[in-house]
Amino acid sequence: MPQRSPTLLSIRNLSVEYPPAAGSRKPLRAVRGVSLDIAAGEIYGLVGESGSGKSSLAHAILQLVKPNAGQALFRGNDLFTMNKSDLNSARKDIQLVFQDSLASLSPRRTVRQALTEPLEHFRIGNPAERPAQVAASLETVDLDPALANRYPQELSGGQRQRVALARAVITRPSLIIADEPVSSLDVRVQSRIIKVIKDLRVKRGIAFIFVSHDLAVVRKLADSVGVMYLGKLLETGPAQTLFAAPAHPYTKSLLQAVPVADPGHPRPLVLGGEQPSPLTPPAGCVFHMRCPEVFDPCLVNMPSETVVAAPESSQNCAHKVRCHICNPIHN
Amino acid sequence: MNQPALRISKLTVKSTLEPGAPAIVSEIGFDLRKGEILALVGESGCGKTKTAEAIMGLLPASHWQVTAGAIELNGTDCSDLPPASLRKLRGNEISMIFQEPLTALDPVFSCGHQVSSVLRRHLGSARNEARDRTIKMLQQVGFADPERIFRSYPHQLSGGMRQRVMIAMAMSCRPAVLIADEPTTALDVTTQAQVLDQLTKLGREYGTAILLITHDLGVVAQYADRVMVMLDGVIVETAEVENLFKQPQHPCTRQLLSYTTGAVA
Repeated sequence: MPQRSPTLLSIRNLSVEYPPAAGSRKPLRAVRGVSLDIAAGEIYGLVGESGSGKSSLAHAILQLVKPNAGQALFRGNDLFTMNKSDLNSARKDIQLVFQDSLASLSPRRTVRQALTEPLEHFRIGNPAERPAQVAASLETVDLDPALANRYPQELSGGQRQRVALARAVITRPSLIIADEPVSSLDVRVQSRIIKVIKDLRVKRGIAFIFVSHDLAVVRKLADSVGVMYLGKLLETGPAQTLFAAPAHPYTKSLLQAVPVADPGHPRPLVLGGEQPSPLTPPAGCVFHMRCPEVFDPCLVNMPSETVVAAPESSQNCAHKVRCHICNPIHN
Repeated sequence: MNQPALRISKLTVKSTLEPGAPAIVSEIGFDLRKGEILALVGESGCGKTKTAEAIMGLLPASHWQVTAGAIELNGTDCSDLPPASLRKLRGNEISMIFQEPLTALDPVFSCGHQVSSVLRRHLGSARNEARDRTIKMLQQVGFADPERIFRSYPHQLSGGMRQRVMIAMAMSCRPAVLIADEPTTALDVTTQAQVLDQLTKLGREYGTAILLITHDLGVVAQYADRVMVMLDGVIVETAEVENLFKQPQHPCTRQLLSYTTGAVA
């Protein structure tokens, strides 16, 4: 990539709230004013602990959960204010893959039926071409087209997840939102799916939003990374820079918590405490209660976004962080 | 006397539903030394969990045929014990924690009730005494507010908190042997570090030997003393952790290592 590709999806100040539970008046604010840009053909890794709001964010883009505020500009058009038929055609261009492939594929439909359905829904090709389209799609995810006659429960977890990918790919999307697609799989199967995703990006130019709590997987795959905590994006930047020189104390602790497969390496550092409930987010910086580097300003307000490093070349996005320590005013 | 905490010899597990199928676990044997952390690694389906369940006597005879030369716990063979005697050992001398604490904990009893029932059953503690010991135990696994956790139900806690309740329950009788089956696979990295830290700290303090089942070689490198690699129901390599990473012998070990170190073709 000599030059950064044009922006495909631009999320602006997205918020997602879930209605109060029975007997409560407080809504649960899962995503709080998140903005991020995804370029065409880019793999964007969205990482964070469970409960950080990363799945809510991913699902809100296609309005599987209803966003409360913000915009999602897909090729310049806001998905949230589109009329139904425009949204329908946008959904052809933005596909989803879920974590649990057994739950996201109907047990009563064969792989062929599951893959034919999006073709029928979006009126892609004519009925005579469909078997060939299904076979081609299975081949792109490295599966034997003969599996088309099987039911999901007759496949292994890795095969099923590739069927889910094949179903997403079959509409020729430009963006696939993958919510923890490899989390429940064995490492060997994981590396195979990662390879398939890389291939899809190279051969088809498909961009991915890859949601994962596994930093090791994101490191192998992503071009850009966003780190979420309690509904806020704390650090974003090119994967290489962010993994080599994390700026936010939370990103640092996440990276230090990964056990390294080398007995000579020091043990993971333990980050104390638990992520607070999104029902009762702390005042000030969302991370201050667990932050090893907390100081006075952190208790008062949420830091604004500062640029750590401007893009070295036009092919990278800027490395940005929300942390008082990184703010020049305090140094 | 260098008797191991647990000695397994010629342990075989077969399915009785598919008599012709190859054994899930095939004539394996190993020693778990006192106080050590021995990791058992391998891909899913290689027989790690079945090994653990067979040792614990958790495989119903209607489905599984378990044969063993010996399952010796502190020198006493318990492979042929009647169920009642086995129940006295389980949770007391040997205990187990599972991958998914939400299914391992009972949803209708409070966490405190579940931990203290272990103490009441095995140590015959009175209700008040069991309660006090449970609170202490919850403190030991890192809860700042053990009283609240005592009253909580499993669904009210996060995955990491539930797993720590499981550890408190499994370790409450200071067992000689703990089998931990993928205890942190379902957890975030930060929570994983917390849980493994508590687990190894308690193990050292109580002198509990831990059989740590995992597929994560990072976890093995950082927390285990020795490691066994399993492939298709057979242990193909056993080594000190340092040697395994320096000089993996079996092709299966080398392959596992290549996935972990990030070599994606």
